[in-house]
Amino acid sequence: MEKKIGVYICSDCGIGEALDLEALEKVGKNEYSAAAVRSAPFLCSQEGAQLIKDDINNEGINTIVIAACSARVNTDAFDFDPAQYITERVNLREHVVWTQQPRAAAEAEAAAPEEAPAEAAAEGEAEAPAGEAAAPAETAEAAPEAPAEETGPQVNENTQEMAEDHLRMGIVRARASEPPEPHIEELNKTILVIGGGPTGLTSALQSAAAGYDVVLVEKEAQLGGWGKKMYKLMPDKAPFAESRKPDIDNKIQAVEASGKIRVIMNAEIEKTAGEPGKYKVTVKSNGSSETLDIGTIVLAIGWKPYNANRLEHLGYGKFRNVVTNVEMEQIAIDGSGTIARPSDGKQATRVAFLQCAGQRDPEHLPYCSSVCCLTSLKQALYVTESNRDAAAFIVYKDMRTPGLYEEFYKTAQNNPGVMLTKGEITSITEDASGNIILEIDNTILGEKVMVVADMLVLATGMVTNALPAHVEGVTDLTPEYVGSWRETETVDGIIKEVVADPVVLNLEYRQGPELPYLKYGFPDSHFICFPYETRRTGIYTAGAVRHPMTAMQAANDGTGAALKAIQCLELASRGMAVHPRSGDQSFPEINYTNCTQCRRCTVECPFGVLDEEENGTPKTNTFRCRRCGTCMGACPQRIISFKNYSVEMIASQMKAIKVPEEDSKPRIIALICENDAYPAIDIAGLNRLSISPFYRFITMRCLGGTNLVWIADALSAGIEGFLLIGCRFDDDYQCHFVKGSKAANERLGKVQETLGRLMLESERVTQVQLALNEWDKLPQIMEDFAGKLKEFGPNPFKGF
Amino acid sequence: MADESVENKEESTGAPEAAPEENAPAAETGSTAAVATAEAEGAEAAAEAEGTVAEEAAEPAVAPAKMIQPDIGFVREVIGAGGTDLKKCFQCATCSVVCNITPDDHPFPRKEMIWAQWGLKEKLVADPDIWLCHQCNDCTAQCPRDAKPGRVMQAVAKMSIPSLSKPGFLAKGIGNPSMIAIMTALPLIIVGLAVGLLGSFNPQRGEGEHAGQIVYGQFLGHWPIVDVFSTFFVLSIIIFLLGIRNYWVMMKKHASEEGSPVSGSGMAQVGPVIGEIAAHKRFGKCDETKDRKVSHLFILYAFVLLFLATVTSTIYTDFPLLWGGHGTESPYPTLSLVKLFGYSGAIAAVIGIGLITINRFKHQAKVGLGSYFDWQLIVMIIVLMLTGIGSAAFRLANIGVLAYPTYFIHLSTVMFLFIYAPFSKMAHMVYRATAMAFARTAGRDTPM
Repeated sequence: MEKKIGVYICSDCGIGEALDLEALEKVGKNEYSAAAVRSAPFLCSQEGAQLIKDDINNEGINTIVIAACSARVNTDAFDFDPAQYITERVNLREHVVWTQQPRAAAEAEAAAPEEAPAEAAAEGEAEAPAGEAAAPAETAEAAPEAPAEETGPQVNENTQEMAEDHLRMGIVRARASEPPEPHIEELNKTILVIGGGPTGLTSALQSAAAGYDVVLVEKEAQLGGWGKKMYKLMPDKAPFAESRKPDIDNKIQAVEASGKIRVIMNAEIEKTAGEPGKYKVTVKSNGSSETLDIGTIVLAIGWKPYNANRLEHLGYGKFRNVVTNVEMEQIAIDGSGTIARPSDGKQATRVAFLQCAGQRDPEHLPYCSSVCCLTSLKQALYVTESNRDAAAFIVYKDMRTPGLYEEFYKTAQNNPGVMLTKGEITSITEDASGNIILEIDNTILGEKVMVVADMLVLATGMVTNALPAHVEGVTDLTPEYVGSWRETETVDGIIKEVVADPVVLNLEYRQGPELPYLKYGFPDSHFICFPYETRRTGIYTAGAVRHPMTAMQAANDGTGAALKAIQCLELASRGMAVHPRSGDQSFPEINYTNCTQCRRCTVECPFGVLDEEENGTPKTNTFRCRRCGTCMGACPQRIISFKNYSVEMIASQMKAIKVPEEDSKPRIIALICENDAYPAIDIAGLNRLSISPFYRFITMRCLGGTNLVWIADALSAGIEGFLLIGCRFDDDYQCHFVKGSKAANERLGKVQETLGRLMLESERVTQVQLALNEWDKLPQIMEDFAGKLKEFGPNPFKGF
Repeated sequence: MADESVENKEESTGAPEAAPEENAPAAETGSTAAVATAEAEGAEAAAEAEGTVAEEAAEPAVAPAKMIQPDIGFVREVIGAGGTDLKKCFQCATCSVVCNITPDDHPFPRKEMIWAQWGLKEKLVADPDIWLCHQCNDCTAQCPRDAKPGRVMQAVAKMSIPSLSKPGFLAKGIGNPSMIAIMTALPLIIVGLAVGLLGSFNPQRGEGEHAGQIVYGQFLGHWPIVDVFSTFFVLSIIIFLLGIRNYWVMMKKHASEEGSPVSGSGMAQVGPVIGEIAAHKRFGKCDETKDRKVSHLFILYAFVLLFLATVTSTIYTDFPLLWGGHGTESPYPTLSLVKLFGYSGAIAAVIGIGLITINRFKHQAKVGLGSYFDWQLIVMIIVLMLTGIGSAAFRLANIGVLAYPTYFIHLSTVMFLFIYAPFSKMAHMVYRATAMAFARTAGRDTPM
């Protein structure tokens, strides 16, 4: 595209008062020969926007640089068709003007230290006849400051320089951008729902109701899952006080009656190949295999109970009348609500429940399954409702009945036969007649007590079915994928990675056959921010496969995941990215001629976008891509780029920064992630927190895109240091691209070597993890880093 | 030895596991609560090891576990007896924190709430704190769960009476609203028989200075009244004394079971307790129902005055020499000591019971109106006052057709209160005092 650049500077919101706009205009006019450079008040107004539109229409401007407010605001006012125009927002307001000290204060501060050199100069002159060489030096140093003063008597020069550099970087970035050419293909829009329990049935019904064809596969011979195996279920509607009979049959009938849902029973997925909209899923059922064209996938394979055989210390398997809560449901179904104990079939009138059996226990399930308290309350009511004189004792660590289920807890608690106490079981024994004797310590009864029960129910927890059946515990899993270690030789040396065991999806992905997990085998995307999403675009998890939940919550999950699956299909069919860069039509392009098959991109991609040829050459699957640019950052050959985001583009931005020779004006580059760091600085600005004026902000889609080549280049050009401000990583990560900030951090480890070669301190490049709500810590973090760089002394490459 | 929990040092690597009991109830007596640590060997091995372990025990381990046998029937009874919201309690202990009366050591009513929820009748009946509670209902007003601990305490106290005052069926009867007709019939029959056999349902009018006037002595004479009423009064006192002894023994046993044995008879505390009751200091500590102190004091002293009136009337009649030689039968002179005690007692009682009734309605929103048990006594006192004043008024007005039935009801009401004193809410005056004496003896009392 032939670039015709227009630079538009807003003078409102304090920008005009804090900056010399004429000087700023000169940057556009003189340094970059922009076709149009204008400053105007209130640029986001209709008149302001019209100014730009007129230039587009009359002057043929196609590259629009708006130097005004944060790119996160006024997006509607500056909305120019991305297919035709490049729009670059330079954040002068929040990132520059509002984070710099108000002019008066800055002047007062600036005035004080400046007096001293002036006096020194005067003294020097006075002493000059005595032959002091200092005086000319002082005047010489003072001289270059004078022209800066000319930019306007009221403007702080540091702020002005910061604004000018940011404008330069914005123009350069716009100049290096091309409008993306979307990748559009005819896509299949069938949704595959895996699992026919409460979650999967709901997901299938909701997808069908939204007009999509659905294939529902179920591994068993009947639909309904756990919904068929419960005597009663937790309440699902107001006032959430009474348990209910399972109504799963209604959903099964609706699914069977729907013309849009194809059900495959006794199914097993042999292979899932392709990408969203183009999946080829091979399903084997009753001995024959069939390959289906699938758009997106909802994974609703649910949960399995924790293996109670590992709970022998609680009497399971040792005493006849110790059962799990799952077995208790079957007992209730068998007796139509009457509880007959296993050893002799006698009706149980004293039933003890032990909560957190093998849960919240580092030896077993370290987590809380969140439903077992409700389950025990529900089952305690089976006991008391089938026999007025029966009692149920529930011994808990904490009684957890989240949300409105509190009402259900109250119902159970109000039953005279339901007795609750906190406590720790110190011993479980059996007497000759099969009764279970419990010793409970630390009770709220105020003493250690002993209770004799006809039977004991262990409230065991839920394990995700994403874990292979043979895995017993959840605490000693191989990282990310459950499987075994393998060593691969690459140009980087030997890479040790996990070869994942197939469980359900059997993905034909370079990164393995299943979804990566974060903790305890639960397939993960961000638990709070992006439920349902996984690290495989187009595959959405729902229900207890992603965390323990009740049937009602699972059904809601099914709806949510169906919606995400639909979103993905609709965006992909327009060539657009899904969350978090929803609507982005750019995608990574690889210049294969320079590829060294190092596999870094295929390893580091958080979403498994890139498959591998036999020799290691990456093979893209565009519809899997979320456009974070982690591959771009990973590539040592710099051959991966987007039309509007590339290694060269950022490098040219860095080069556009003017590095003054004075040591009093260091230049520090802050690479900021657009999701958290960028708005964090916005909020800091909004709160008028003061930030060091020596920083230059370069916005990244994700820190994962950080390419090491920039660091060496910029440091050799006299930049004092790099501060990478990104999201938290590891267990409680907040990275919108899951692993981007972590990938950047790992790469930084390697930069040490480069810095050593340049004889520079390794701390000149530092990454900080910042959550959005930590915006108030930002000025101090930046001040500290600048202070540390000052201690190191000026970059020896400065001025070369 | 066997009733102590012991720990096998050599095998103490695993979690402690109790030896299985041959039969569960045996453990109730605390005979075999041995704890052996023999995880790997399982229960059978633990059973085999039990003997040796017990013998070779080097040191006593943690306190032995106590067998508890929840009684769901009891839970239902407490709910039925006024502790309707008992089960709502989730043991936050706000009640014990807001209570100004509870001892700091093992404070009530939190622990009573969980005992009641679990149907641990044995513990509750022997618990001094159920009677230490003065029914301020600060806890009820502050309870975040609206479990009304004050009401539960009262219900439990009521339910403890059958275990204290014998025969227990009388307590059960008086506490049961559906039995009120039968319970009321008893004093009516006793007084009716007394009048029929020892007095006259068709009494003559007075003679001499009382000529033509109503003389209740003709209806039922002084001596028959003294004989009949004293009999039942003394009977009640005997029941009370036995009850106090029962309660004391139970509380002592309870205290040792709870791990803080109490010695001493409590006789030394009788004086201080009476002093405390006379001043009603504890009532003054109530926040929500502070005004109960005044109303309850009025009632207390009304009964004292009326008791004095009764005593003086006996002295008047039976010991004339003490009173200047002119022994008198009723009616007594208006300005006689009997009458002065009687009138002032009646006035105090009217004020007291009036305030109590008003206060009940005033505090209804926060602490509830009260139970059947409360209202039974309030109504009886109101009836007592109305019939007492009515008897005097109708006598003075000389309206026989109203005076004698009113007097009959009055006497029956007195009889009702006498007979049922150890079983009805009246019992609180004795058992609360006993509990106070016990708390003082145990050193659990908080200075008021």
